[in-house]
Amino acid sequence: MSSWLEQAPSLTNVLHYSLAAVALLLVVLGFVTYAIYFERKVIGWMQLRPGPNRVGPLGLLQTISDVTKLLLKEDTRPKHADKALFTLAPILAYSPAFAVLAVMPFTDTIQFADLGVGVLYYIALSSITVMGVITAGWASNNKYSLIGGMRSAAQMISYEVPLVMSVVGIILMTGSLNLKDIVYAQQDVWNIVPQFLGFIVFLIAAQAELNRSPFDLPEAESELVAGYHVEYSGFRFAMFMLAEYVYMFGMGTLIVVLFLGGWLPIHPSLDFIPPIIWFIIKFMFYVFLQFWLRATMPRFRADQLMGFAWKVLLPVALFNIMLTAFVITYQNGFM
Amino acid sequence: MPTPFSTGIRTEEMVLNIGPQHPSTHGVFRLVVKIDGETIKEAVPVMGYLHRGTEKLAENLTYTQIIPYTDRIDYLSSMTNNYVLCHAVETLMGLSIPEKAEFLRVIVMEMNRIASHLVWWGTYLLDIGAIGPFLYAFRDRETIINLFNELSGARLTYNYMRIGGVKWDAPPGWIEKAKEFVQYLKSELPNYHVLVSGNEIFQSRITGIGTYSRQDALDHSLSGVMLRCTGENWDIRKNEPYSIYDRFEFDVPVATEGDCLSRYHLRLQEIEQSIRILEQALDQFPEEGEVMGKVPKVIRPPVGEVYVRIEAPRGELGVYIASQGKDKPWRFKLRRPSFVNLQILPKLLEGVNMSNMVAILGSIDIVVGEVDA
Amino acid sequence: MLGFAKGLGYTLKKLSEKKITTLYPDVPYQMPPRFRGIQHFSPEKCIVCNQCARVCPTECIQLTGRSHPDPDKKGKIIDTYDINFEICILCDLCTEVCPTEAIVMTNNFELAAYSRDELYKDLKWLDDNNTNVREEN
Repeated sequence: MSSWLEQAPSLTNVLHYSLAAVALLLVVLGFVTYAIYFERKVIGWMQLRPGPNRVGPLGLLQTISDVTKLLLKEDTRPKHADKALFTLAPILAYSPAFAVLAVMPFTDTIQFADLGVGVLYYIALSSITVMGVITAGWASNNKYSLIGGMRSAAQMISYEVPLVMSVVGIILMTGSLNLKDIVYAQQDVWNIVPQFLGFIVFLIAAQAELNRSPFDLPEAESELVAGYHVEYSGFRFAMFMLAEYVYMFGMGTLIVVLFLGGWLPIHPSLDFIPPIIWFIIKFMFYVFLQFWLRATMPRFRADQLMGFAWKVLLPVALFNIMLTAFVITYQNGFM
Repeated sequence: MPTPFSTGIRTEEMVLNIGPQHPSTHGVFRLVVKIDGETIKEAVPVMGYLHRGTEKLAENLTYTQIIPYTDRIDYLSSMTNNYVLCHAVETLMGLSIPEKAEFLRVIVMEMNRIASHLVWWGTYLLDIGAIGPFLYAFRDRETIINLFNELSGARLTYNYMRIGGVKWDAPPGWIEKAKEFVQYLKSELPNYHVLVSGNEIFQSRITGIGTYSRQDALDHSLSGVMLRCTGENWDIRKNEPYSIYDRFEFDVPVATEGDCLSRYHLRLQEIEQSIRILEQALDQFPEEGEVMGKVPKVIRPPVGEVYVRIEAPRGELGVYIASQGKDKPWRFKLRRPSFVNLQILPKLLEGVNMSNMVAILGSIDIVVGEVDA
Repeated sequence: MLGFAKGLGYTLKKLSEKKITTLYPDVPYQMPPRFRGIQHFSPEKCIVCNQCARVCPTECIQLTGRSHPDPDKKGKIIDTYDINFEICILCDLCTEVCPTEAIVMTNNFELAAYSRDELYKDLKWLDDNNTNVREEN
């Protein structure tokens, strides 16, 4: 697939690539549809109820009908909202979410762009979403959404720091920012073992980045009604929801690639199972964890949240970097 | 005087209208807060959206007719409301109640206290962002409601008590079912602590917020858990026993911290104490006997006035009746604990962060039907 | 750090537990025998004593009677009997005072309607509402 990128851009080439992107979009949409279904089912089961079961067999068509409903809804906009920004915000939130998937190596062959700075690309692009969120919060001209937008801006920027710092350990170990190289470096042992501290920090910071429980403050229903997207409805609202779940897809992929050995089997003797299956299994575990946390956890408090990022996660991440650096230097015999 | 960090940007306070339609105001309660950033400068509770004029309506109703109206004041613990009215009229008329009726009253009141605290527990956690406990609490409350449904024929507005007794005797097998439930709840309650109380996020979230002193509590004439969390040992069931509460052994849980966490723990401990009372009451339940005392056909209390108070799940629930010897009260006044307890809210909210607002409001445990009557 | 892990364990255990929801409305919800549902009224038993209308706290019962068609017999028979279910609170007081059990409770409780007018139930409707009638009143 990557070989296409290296060829001269011809019509067929571009067509192929666009088709592949559309295919990925469909896969992602399919994932989002059934992630929402699965989420509602799992949380339902944990709460001793069956979850959606009315639309279609076993409720499988529930999300599809929900999305259809959203798409058919009237496109409402508050009278005093900033028209241009109000329209721009969902796009700004969603596009980077999809764009980050370009560098994700799902297996050693399925990858769109094999960038040398894959990790950096992900982190750089994903911060653009904050702009979308804060734009939405401001443009809606609603006090709740303004507070929600400010909260998420503060939260997402703060947690980005420990998120990046926790990956530095892996980059030090691998000596590369390329996601494929990072996976290949995990042939013997997955990064979760030597980088356990980094893994924990990454997991927590990722929750905050995704605005998911227990860090779902920006959309804290009981306080801010719905946070930054309180004035959005119809397909604009669907875009925000889509962005949230696509980020979950992206973050799940990233965590599998960085810490869980990507498509590599748990033991070399099990490599008769296709790599994509391995990838999906690991990915599913992460997604399940999301739902599980959501069914159990209460929400963090806004002021404690910031303290936690700067006073706990960041020092731990920095300590992890130092530790990794020392160990690597020691192994290389410089000490 | 510019501070070292002054940037010269003009900031201003914002008035935020929370409610009457808001997920965490538990009904149609409105709170107007003035916020500076996320810090609340001033909070003004606005109530009355659910005002139905129960007190005035009652002046045109006979005493029996008022009972279904009391169901709807504090709709989470109708039984205690039923009781306080019947108790007031019985005190005024000097009626004696059959033993079996007293037992049934205590049993249903304590069950209703448990049900009410379970709803509080679930919705409070829902406010704080945990969705699971709500469903678990409602599962257990459902059993109580089903028991009440079998006993009185309704799931929420029981209209079970009558002046001079209760409407129905326990149906066959009901006492056994109640015993079974009490045992079940006793074994299930520790799981509540496993699920929520031990959670570090939850603990750090509500420890030390919404704190007030014992003097504050007395000045605002708070009652119930809101008073006991400050170290004041005051429970009307113990201090001024009514019905047959003096026959049962139970403790009054008291805390001294006066914060949201202590109120949370007190309510769960109250469930434990209610279970103790229920166990004793169900064991001593007399098989034989009447459930309705000798009552005149038309209830006409003598000229006079009476004020009785009982310990409702939310605090001191009182009824004042002024009678002119007619079959309808001349004046009917309720001391609604939710309403009184709510008065401390502006003081508690001053200067706190917005995200503590729901935690503090939730810990007061208001029922808007009772606030607005 | 153990506290929230225990909570996670609890929810995980619940994942496979038996569900407690009921299949209402696919399967009708069985109410206990004492349940106070919509009233059933049997005109032949009614002696037009007006007690139900008087005891009703919300004054939702309206009735008229006429003298007995058989001139030999004393008393009245019921002519119209309306309950306004917009304001009826199903408090059970009317069935409690009725000396002849002309008005009794049933276990039916589904009252939802598209129009408020449909909530005015007349004598015929209440007479036909004769399923699941409560035994003891």
